[in-house]
Amino acid sequence: MMKQPSVYSTTGNLVKTLLLMIPMVLLVFVFITRGNTDFSSPLKLVSFLITFVFFSGLFFMILYTGKTNRYRAIGFIVLASFFALTFIVNLITMRGSMSFSNNNFLSCEIPFCHIVTTMIIIPAAITKTIIFPGSILNGFASIASMLVIVIGISISIGRGFCSWGCFYGGWDDGFSSIGKKPVIRKVNPAFKWMPFAILLIIALASAATLSPVYCDWLCPFKSVTEFQKVTSMEIFFKTVVFISLFAGLVVVLPFLTKKRIQCSTFCPMGALLSFTNKINIFGLRIDKDKCTNCKLCAKTCPTLSIDSNDIEKGRPSFTCTKCGKCIDKCPKNAIHYHVKGTPENKNHTLNRMLFLFPSFTLLVIFTGGTMQQGIMLLVKLFTTGSFI
Amino acid sequence: MNFPEGILLGLSTGAICLAYCGPVIIPYLLGENKNVHTNFVYVSLFLSGRLLAYMIIGLIAGIAGTLFLQPSGFNIKLIGVSYVFLSILLIVYGFHRFKEVCLGKTQIKVTSGYFKNRPYVAPLIGGILTGLNICPPLILAVTKAASTHDIAGSILFFVMFFIGTSLYFIPLPFIGIFKRQHVLRIIGKFAAIFAGLIYLYKGLFMIIN
Repeated sequence: MMKQPSVYSTTGNLVKTLLLMIPMVLLVFVFITRGNTDFSSPLKLVSFLITFVFFSGLFFMILYTGKTNRYRAIGFIVLASFFALTFIVNLITMRGSMSFSNNNFLSCEIPFCHIVTTMIIIPAAITKTIIFPGSILNGFASIASMLVIVIGISISIGRGFCSWGCFYGGWDDGFSSIGKKPVIRKVNPAFKWMPFAILLIIALASAATLSPVYCDWLCPFKSVTEFQKVTSMEIFFKTVVFISLFAGLVVVLPFLTKKRIQCSTFCPMGALLSFTNKINIFGLRIDKDKCTNCKLCAKTCPTLSIDSNDIEKGRPSFTCTKCGKCIDKCPKNAIHYHVKGTPENKNHTLNRMLFLFPSFTLLVIFTGGTMQQGIMLLVKLFTTGSFI
Repeated sequence: MNFPEGILLGLSTGAICLAYCGPVIIPYLLGENKNVHTNFVYVSLFLSGRLLAYMIIGLIAGIAGTLFLQPSGFNIKLIGVSYVFLSILLIVYGFHRFKEVCLGKTQIKVTSGYFKNRPYVAPLIGGILTGLNICPPLILAVTKAASTHDIAGSILFFVMFFIGTSLYFIPLPFIGIFKRQHVLRIIGKFAAIFAGLIYLYKGLFMIIN
């Protein structure tokens, strides 16, 4: 099918693209320096420059080519890779190991990740306590800071967090991007509702046992962050479970299906954030006048968020992560970012820019510091032979 | 014995009870995809099962004091067995008439004859098996009931405790008013299978360990 020319006024227009780049370049500068331009060592300066050029370049390409997902995915995969690298190196520096001991647990030194939010709400309402061995205010990834981030993101871009800010999502986004065609062509669409079932059960089970059940048992990303030291048969069994889930849901199945299987069929945080799509002002719309019902968007969507019914309704399911892959692929340019309350299928460039600024800024905020630290660690590895 | 104490204990710990029983009854209500009235019947049956289990526990507590219900190797194995039965019930129910997944299609042949003609079996047995499981509020109730040193008093204390906790179940039938019942049904089926797997693991570990 012939690809229609882009509907965005920035596509191929260098002047307009550069003008729209100015605020983002400033935002990139502010957020990756974090307001502190300390380039005392050449290594800091080099890592800053690489990060600055990388993000400015990505945003330029998003505007100039009119392709959103292609360049978002690069930044998103970089986020996941550098996050894992810096997190693991920091853990090994502090504790000497990726595993945590009972002492770390009892002294509340476990970093709080956004997925835990799904498990603390009901117990907090019942017992007025946070059932997680982390610090409320102090240290890296404190509970209060992560909750503020989750609430803020929910309001600003809804489930767009899953494609623009989550520091785990880049893993299955990356593995699902390998290869041109899927080996397994059809994924049962019923599975997109499984995260809601998992959310329901872990929320109740966490309230019943007053422990974060998902973190304790199921989180596949313990494989690339931290895990409990194996001191018993039960912990060994838990280790086998999370490594298997990582291998299956994050590596093998995304590679075979070209879908983000962990994000779309397992992650309880994704299910919770789907509800925030209902109150968030950004969404996607399918122009039924332009749509030829080729269903390429449904085949392409990495999170199973578009099916025939959704095309008929003119919008993806509320599980949409706003990655923009369907927009990039649609041969008739029938899918667009939309601001709720404004006329549909109009002002495509404006709506896209209104969505891109907060979401790309979020990507920069999450990735900026991590990427700079990661570059410095890689340089250290090449020059000294060790990360530590 | 101050019998309102039973109700008060039930009221103060009912939210935890709901968290324990929720993984059994909520997936069932979602999976059956019925209206509010029918859901009331299912929740009532589930609660009847719980009442029956509580009365049995009350009877045992009254006869044997807390001794029988104190954690011991034998009792933990018994609870483990009840968890395994509960998990089988949940997993079989999860796959029953779950035509959206391929395993569910094969299960239809095995279970359709039984569950189709007896839709009330699952919530009733689920209620009994859930009621028999020792959760923290139940341990508190057992300790208090056993201190009455009277069989009738002990059972009555459990009935009061049941009434107190049951108030938290009143909103559950209203799941029937939600739209998109087809989606809720799928979520309920997945949740039943998932809860079943958790109970299976816990039950097996209790039996083995």
